[in-house]
Amino acid sequence: MSRRARFLLSRIAPTPPDRESQQWVEQLSPGNPRREYALAKLDEFRGLSRLTTWAYKFAVFEVSSKVARHAWQHHPPSRDELVFEQLPDELAAHPTDRLERLEQLHALSTAIGNLSDRQREVFVAIALNEVPIDVLAIELGTNRNAIYKNLFDARRNLRASLAAAGHPVVREDAA
Amino acid sequence: MADRRDLNKLLRAEDGDAGCTAGEAILDAYVELELAGQDPASVYPGTAIHLKSCPGCQADHAGILHAAREFKDEKPE
Repeated sequence: MSRRARFLLSRIAPTPPDRESQQWVEQLSPGNPRREYALAKLDEFRGLSRLTTWAYKFAVFEVSSKVARHAWQHHPPSRDELVFEQLPDELAAHPTDRLERLEQLHALSTAIGNLSDRQREVFVAIALNEVPIDVLAIELGTNRNAIYKNLFDARRNLRASLAAAGHPVVREDAA
Repeated sequence: MADRRDLNKLLRAEDGDAGCTAGEAILDAYVELELAGQDPASVYPGTAIHLKSCPGCQADHAGILHAAREFKDEKPE
């Protein structure tokens, strides 16, 4: 193990990596990009998990980011305006239920139209058109967390609008 | 195209949602609790709520869980 690796490992707090994790780092070949990447990030390790799982996390984040960037460059997302047929359309057995469902969907469509431009854009793209959240973040020049906040607020507003219109959406775990 | 969906899922926005950034810091620990047969929601309730409704973090969580489960004993090259 290099002196730098020993130094970084010695700084890990509050829990030092277990012996198996240290061996994992030791076995990374010098010159292996993963070794350099692991060493660069090692001082952020806080011992909340095994070092290997922690390293997998960054690998997954890296892949997510690169896939989103690739997708955005090669297949710019479609953020078409709302199409009524895209709204939930669960089949209701009874005509009365069916009618109630249609009224709820009309109320939802109206509520979507009353969202702020940003909330509507994010909700339609992610919730209805299934644009990946990271792809939309790249296109809008922001990050996943900011987009998620827009999505969360849009959902909250839509629930409130539906409830005010007499069509509340009951939470499945509250039923 | 989202032609048929559960409306409740489409509009899921629960109180206590910790957001993406909070989850990024602890997803590895969250996954290890799952692999140990423990309930990560009892330790990280805000992230458990968040993972129900954020498609990006759901995908990352699934990827880390898969990697930790499949490759935990792999030796590095």
